[in-house]
Amino acid sequence: MISIIVNGSRREIQAPEDTPLLYVLRNDLHLTGPQFGCGMMQCGACSVLLEGKEIRSCLTPVSAAANKEVTTLEGLPGRWAKQQGLSTADAAKTLHPVQQAWIAEQTPLCGFCQNGMMIKATELLERVEKPTIAQIKDAFTTSGPSAHLCRCGSYTAIIEAVQHAATLMAKGGK
Amino acid sequence: MATLSERPAKVFGATLTRRQFVKAGGALVVGFGLVGADVWNHPARAAVSGNSLDPTLPGSWIEIHPDNTILIRTGKSDFGQSTTFTAYRQIVAEELSASFEAITTVVSGDTDRTPDGSGAFDFLGRGTPNIRKAAAYVYQALLDLASRRLGVPKSELSVKDGLISGGGKKVSYGDLVKGQQLSLTIPVKGSLTSIMGLTVDGNPPMKPVSQYSVIGKSFRNSVTTSKVSARETWATDVRLPGMLHARMVHPKTLGSTLISVGPVDKAQFPNAQVIVKGSLVGVVAPTEWEAIRAAEQVASGTKWTDWKGLPGNANLFQHLRADADWKSTPVMKSDKTTDEVEPAFAKAAKKLSASYEFPFMKHAPIGPTMAVADVHPDGMVHIYTHNQNPQALRGEIAHMLGTTIDNVVVHIYPGAGHYGRSNGGNAGAEDEAVILSQAAGHPVRVQWMRPEDFQWSTQSAAAFSDVEIGLDANGRIIAYQIDHYMPAMQDDRPVGAIIAGLPTMAAPDVNPPPGSIISTVNGLSDPWIYDGVANLVEQGHGTFQIGQKASPLAIGIRDHSMRTPGQFQQNYPRELAISEAAALAGADAIQFRIDHAKEDRVIGVLKAVREASAWDTRPSPHSNASSTGSTPVRGRGVSVMLRSGTYWACVCQIAVTPSTGVIAVEKYAIAVDPGIVINPMQLKRQVEGGAVMGISQALLEEATFDESGITSRDWLTYPILKMNQIPEIKVVLLHRPEVGAYGGGSEAANALAAPAIAAALFDATGKNARRLPLKPAYVQELLRG
Repeated sequence: MISIIVNGSRREIQAPEDTPLLYVLRNDLHLTGPQFGCGMMQCGACSVLLEGKEIRSCLTPVSAAANKEVTTLEGLPGRWAKQQGLSTADAAKTLHPVQQAWIAEQTPLCGFCQNGMMIKATELLERVEKPTIAQIKDAFTTSGPSAHLCRCGSYTAIIEAVQHAATLMAKGGK
Repeated sequence: MATLSERPAKVFGATLTRRQFVKAGGALVVGFGLVGADVWNHPARAAVSGNSLDPTLPGSWIEIHPDNTILIRTGKSDFGQSTTFTAYRQIVAEELSASFEAITTVVSGDTDRTPDGSGAFDFLGRGTPNIRKAAAYVYQALLDLASRRLGVPKSELSVKDGLISGGGKKVSYGDLVKGQQLSLTIPVKGSLTSIMGLTVDGNPPMKPVSQYSVIGKSFRNSVTTSKVSARETWATDVRLPGMLHARMVHPKTLGSTLISVGPVDKAQFPNAQVIVKGSLVGVVAPTEWEAIRAAEQVASGTKWTDWKGLPGNANLFQHLRADADWKSTPVMKSDKTTDEVEPAFAKAAKKLSASYEFPFMKHAPIGPTMAVADVHPDGMVHIYTHNQNPQALRGEIAHMLGTTIDNVVVHIYPGAGHYGRSNGGNAGAEDEAVILSQAAGHPVRVQWMRPEDFQWSTQSAAAFSDVEIGLDANGRIIAYQIDHYMPAMQDDRPVGAIIAGLPTMAAPDVNPPPGSIISTVNGLSDPWIYDGVANLVEQGHGTFQIGQKASPLAIGIRDHSMRTPGQFQQNYPRELAISEAAALAGADAIQFRIDHAKEDRVIGVLKAVREASAWDTRPSPHSNASSTGSTPVRGRGVSVMLRSGTYWACVCQIAVTPSTGVIAVEKYAIAVDPGIVINPMQLKRQVEGGAVMGISQALLEEATFDESGITSRDWLTYPILKMNQIPEIKVVLLHRPEVGAYGGGSEAANALAAPAIAAALFDATGKNARRLPLKPAYVQELLRG
């Protein structure tokens, strides 16, 4: 049996080892932030953080995450709270600055791809405090297995939200 | 329960009565209840049978609760436009003189909980959405009630934030409805399960625009918060007890029928079950991974007849010109077409003759179509999905099963936007989920894989247009003729039902059944805006879908509305030809358009985009234009369009490298005049999104096909624009309260880029590109030629 640490909790997985992580998260652990977009690592809708690095859960077998730390969209507030040393009570009512910025900028249109966009933004902002527009474009286009695709065309809003999130994070999320 | 009826009163065509409602146990949540013998004879009555809500009752649309909160219902489902959660709330709040925040609940889409049907399009385009009229009727009724309650004439009442004042007294909406059943019947017409659904009729007085205080503000979309926080239940998240996961094994080609089904290794996949209906093959299993792997195994052993009945995309336009039947379908003419155009052409000093080609494109939702269906033993069917026209879907499923719509309920959840694909009722997976659930005796979740979504869904129709423009010696257009050719653009037959051999509506044909829009007729959908042109002919020629008649499955290349449907195919050749005509006249492309327009709003958007783009007034091509070399050359182009009451103009500035043919759109400016701007922030986001999709369509998008089927299968074979390919985008919203109506704003921006980019390519290189997409290989070849 495989054991993975998901959003801070250790979870025992019954599914066959070759099951893609995405189906384990969605069907077994009921973490439905990551979405099935292509099953080919071509779009980014299924992204999660594995040890802080953005990966595509649609083709990553659950065995590749054994004993590693997985963060999904649901886990972003907890990740931020832990990084900031917030109390449990404060953590419960906090969204990650990336999520706050996505709301403030009214970024999603249909929103189906935005899980991956917010995961990618989190990875970027943990690495680069104040990314330039060129760095943001590079992160979302060339840094991963494929570009993160948005069919509704929300790229401008994503760039603005990443910049907004960087400002929030610099101020400790306030 | 005791009721005390009072004399009914007529309220602007609606009927109001009041019944005292007495019941032990405190306050009731009461909307507006039942009354009105006259409406039972209304034509809408038959059409609404099977709907649990009566659309003639305002309570079906709007509930005012004793705690002063308000609930609204609309048959429209959200596809990322946000309109039902922002603009519709603002409109209702405005008409009721309530606060935006008072509207705490929006019920949308579900067929058992919403009154009017229709598709997730044209939310605002006709200026008066159903929900606005319903609110206006309710407002009048509330004033009437307040007048009686307070003993103050209606004309002396005023309302602010849901509090009615008059004669020194006050009463809130909540107090007016508390403990009562208030009855108002409103007129409706139409058919619930048709593409347009029901329409609220009559002319209730509307709030004067000058008194608006809620419309015009940038309220946030509440659903955005739940989606971003991972608290939303998406269609993809629906799980029912006993539900099986399914994957389909679709035919080998768009004309293949089933010979034999491949085996499934029970040792390897002990819980998988193969279901066959006609040529429809599906595999169900309790876990998704088992369903996927077992379906792959079944697919590898399944035998199909072969079929080669398509021309292949390399021969598409040759096929359409030479082989397609354009004679059986009546030729359509636009309203503005004049009689005599030949004499004017004979007098022309200069003449442009050009043909333009528009490829098949895919809706290409970022998530493939999926649905959960639950067919109960008693025949009741529940479908859980993301769909643009749930009532129409309900009708199609009932038709497929030979039952009535009373037995079908469609539940709507958020999902991946698909830009028109399901506006006539189905997106692909719904009917297949129903067929499999019925056979399996369990709820079934059908999820298409990425290649299936490209290869088994409908496409935006290919088209070509022939244009002739005659200029006089002063460079003015004296004659214009355009002939648009396009196969049937809307096929709403559920594909699984076709493959399974179950009943569906007819395929698009010359003579559609009454009330159906499914036909081969190619109507004129790009309103003419150059009213200074005296001699004009605009014609639409239609034909059958390619391969559909020849396919043993009756499938072939099925087409469907896609964002700005039909009009994109017609506006692209028109606007590009107008830019070419301006160049032929030696005129500036924006000034040339202004000189041929008469309407203020057309001229207004052109002037606004000219300013926003810092346009330098001069003819094209640019004096530095070059079609050779490895140094990028730059150019700019313009386009303009009127759709659904909204005026659009766009300027694209591009850099093209002749040696590689690579085009980069560097700057994009767009001016939008929808009349009243309801929510500036949401409109801006919608327009930005449409702009990006439009650039993607112009530069990259073409559904490829061979003799047997669609060969686009993933994001490598059907690329869309990536973040590092977007330009700097400037959106100018022109708020024109004097127009007094809301134009549609969430759709049309995607159509503007293609003609503007092609015109910019001419400006930069002096070469005319007359087909889409403007991929490097094509541009390179064009510039060499």
